[in-house]
Amino acid sequence: MNIYQPHLMRIVEITDETVDTRTLKLEFKAPAMAREFQFCAGQFGEYSAFGEGESTFCIASSPTRQGYIECSFKSTGKVTQALRRLGVGDTVGFRGPYGNHFPIEEMKGHSVVFIAGGIGLAPVRCAIWNVLDLRDQYKDVTIVYGARTVGDLVYKRELEEWSRRADLRLCLAVDPGGETPHWKGEVARIPTAVEKAVTTAEDTYAVICGPPIMIKFTLPVLARLGFAPERIYTTLENRMKCGLGKCGRCNIGATYVCKDGPVFTAAEMGRMPQEF
Amino acid sequence: MTQRFLSHADLAALVAAHRRVIAPVRAKDDARQTDYLPIRALADAALGAALPRRSLKEFFLPPTEVLLSYRQTKEGVEIKEVPTQAQPQVILFASPCDAAALEVVDKVMDWEYRDELWFGRREATTIVGLLCSSMDSSCFCSAIGLGPDSPRGSDVLLTPVEGGYLAQVITPKGEALLAHCAAREASAAAVAQAETARQQARKKVENNAPAIPDGFAAWLEENFDHPVWRTMALRCHGCGACAGVCPTCHCFDIVDEHDSSDEGVRRRNWDSCQTAKFTLQASGHNPRQGQSERFRQRIQHKFSIYPKRFGEILCTGCGRCCRVCAGGMDLPEILGGLIALAKKGQGESGQ
Amino acid sequence: MKELQELAAKLLADGAVQVVLGYEEGPRGVRPAFITDPAQAGRLVFDARCVQNLATYLNPRRQHIVQLGKPAVVVKGCDARAIAGLVRERQIARESVVVIAVRCGGVLQRPEENAALSSETTAVRCAGCDAREPRLYDYILGELPPDPPVNASRAEQIAMLEKMTPAQRKGFWDEELSRCILCHACREACPMCFCVQCTAERALPQWIDPSPTLHASRAWQMMRVLHQAGRCVDCLECERACPEDIPLGLFARYISGAVEKRFGYKACDDPAAPAPLGVFSTEDGEEFIR
Repeated sequence: MNIYQPHLMRIVEITDETVDTRTLKLEFKAPAMAREFQFCAGQFGEYSAFGEGESTFCIASSPTRQGYIECSFKSTGKVTQALRRLGVGDTVGFRGPYGNHFPIEEMKGHSVVFIAGGIGLAPVRCAIWNVLDLRDQYKDVTIVYGARTVGDLVYKRELEEWSRRADLRLCLAVDPGGETPHWKGEVARIPTAVEKAVTTAEDTYAVICGPPIMIKFTLPVLARLGFAPERIYTTLENRMKCGLGKCGRCNIGATYVCKDGPVFTAAEMGRMPQEF
Repeated sequence: MTQRFLSHADLAALVAAHRRVIAPVRAKDDARQTDYLPIRALADAALGAALPRRSLKEFFLPPTEVLLSYRQTKEGVEIKEVPTQAQPQVILFASPCDAAALEVVDKVMDWEYRDELWFGRREATTIVGLLCSSMDSSCFCSAIGLGPDSPRGSDVLLTPVEGGYLAQVITPKGEALLAHCAAREASAAAVAQAETARQQARKKVENNAPAIPDGFAAWLEENFDHPVWRTMALRCHGCGACAGVCPTCHCFDIVDEHDSSDEGVRRRNWDSCQTAKFTLQASGHNPRQGQSERFRQRIQHKFSIYPKRFGEILCTGCGRCCRVCAGGMDLPEILGGLIALAKKGQGESGQ
Repeated sequence: MKELQELAAKLLADGAVQVVLGYEEGPRGVRPAFITDPAQAGRLVFDARCVQNLATYLNPRRQHIVQLGKPAVVVKGCDARAIAGLVRERQIARESVVVIAVRCGGVLQRPEENAALSSETTAVRCAGCDAREPRLYDYILGELPPDPPVNASRAEQIAMLEKMTPAQRKGFWDEELSRCILCHACREACPMCFCVQCTAERALPQWIDPSPTLHASRAWQMMRVLHQAGRCVDCLECERACPEDIPLGLFARYISGAVEKRFGYKACDDPAAPAPLGVFSTEDGEEFIR
């Protein structure tokens, strides 16, 4: 089969996370695909708005939940704006799953800290639900999530749900100036929130995703806490087109983000040329 | 390797027996140039002329090709597949640098996901190479480990001898091509004549550029931030003409186009890492901001990244990039400079 | 040229400029040179093979050149028109560049052949040149050579195009443009194409299909040539850059000729001269403006 040909998906649910961020819940039109499709947390796909083009997003839902996938995106360009014009029942194309994945298996028996900023929660969310759906196979679970303002927080329904669970520690934060009068979470940037919420690196993995500047200032905090660079995982988003290693666009030095990534450890990132 | 003799008449008959034959043909706009184009008879082909302006790449990865077409209906979207089987064709008098390039690009096209559009055309094509006689000072095939007589990528390789050609049969496809024609056993004289011709051809290019040394790919990777990259590409316009004419450049873009309000196609088009927007992200951030970074990527991809991944240099030394560059960038000169730095063992702190 | 080499060395040594953009010998003939060290000024040459318009390197988008520092640029009278254009359109300040003009006796159409100037070898754009004695400069060098032999082939081609019916002309250009692969080399090499984001690169809205089909190539070339109307300095960098040997200079010259006839204006080397499509005055000929 032509590797560039997408599967057809039906939009079954639309959620507006923020003013410009939307989540689509998609089901495969072909019953066989709907039954058989599998993926791992961290993998991504190429989503088509037919007539406008394809765009790269991670699969934001967990592989433990069969029968559908979700993606979340900001409407910044031609394709994402076209995806935003689609409604429930409309058709979207999907190619994937591509890339590598978070070490869900390797993390079993250990503690996990999830750190995300803004829409960076989307690529981490698949791993969070994957872990929570297998909760007894992991030790402590901590989630530190923040955004510039309350309005920028995504997956608000799930943040609610997570805040009520006794088996995880949730720390929500907004930047100074981003709080509302009723805000009950922290008022701090992510690096500071992490310092407060995370007390130990012992036997713990960190999964982090967010704007480059957030990552830049959070990594030293994690280093001070004692996290080894091999145990800090992040996901990179370079400009991708084919998603399968042929179009030559996404490489950082000798690393192809679509094949060797998009999930990388901080150690691997340190070895890459700083060209991203 | 079986060696046969093909007279001019034998070859003419072979051309006549095939539906689609592509060969170098004199260009209409400039008689000094040739282009690979379909021919009807052997007499249409231009011999001993300049290396064709474009490589063979476009017969396997066209400048634009449709990946699928779609139609919006009330029920959703219908996708119409494109055929991946191609019409059989013969490429005659392919330059060895162009033939070898196809095998080099095969590696990425088969990397975990097999590109059926590329391989459909590859499988349907038989390549008859010809000992190169059009080399100039921009050629550097021998520096890459190839040469004007390289059989790499050809199914049959022809060397001109008296009365016709010595034909080396290289692959089963080549054997099948010659099975139908009256090729005879080559005489000892023809074999000797061919060997002399090959030696003479090799001598013409072997001093054009220093051979790529072992460890060069690793040196390039280690010296990603070397100051030499900052001034290497000052005269480069970032136009991407080099990528267009290059037999191994294969980077592409994927776009959708409307034919009407509810029908359209998805295409893949040639693209080049030399253009500013190649890595431009929707946020406006560009990991390769300037031409020095973009030119570095070109060299790194061809001489370090591809070798690391696939064990092949993504270049066959055809020299087209040098001939076409309006800014005067010269790859043998650039490689020579980098190889000299690598040999001196100069690292990041070097001048 | 000793005069040029000595001037370049002096400007660099005095710190008046940090880089001299000139011409030097390369492996394939004359090519642009970037001299930052006064000791290297001996690399500079100037002769009939110096066809490149170095003004294109003054484009402020070329960050890695801007970073070198204040430039001096070696120009022929025709190249100076591009500098005047960049100043006129506020892309560079006149004081930001030192202009070293050289009196020119014509250049070759095919510099790689290094032949003597004749009616067949002289560049087509030298025919009718009125800028051999440059007027825009900080320094002016060289003796004024005699007029070069006239290569009338382009004038003949234009006359042929003018005699064609529109359908014939379309056939001519369709044949030439069928080779266009939309690589945009013509734009990248052009000194007057300096837009940070070209209309052709816009996705929202997408004015021009990005795929190299004939209708897209037509749209792209027509748009570029129209954007160059009255601005093109006829340096033929577009034609030299094109990997498909499309006669782009012919296309641009045809439009420039139309601007000359309609508005009596030719791209010139006076930065203060108003561009015909860039200003309006109540004396303009068109009725609708009043």
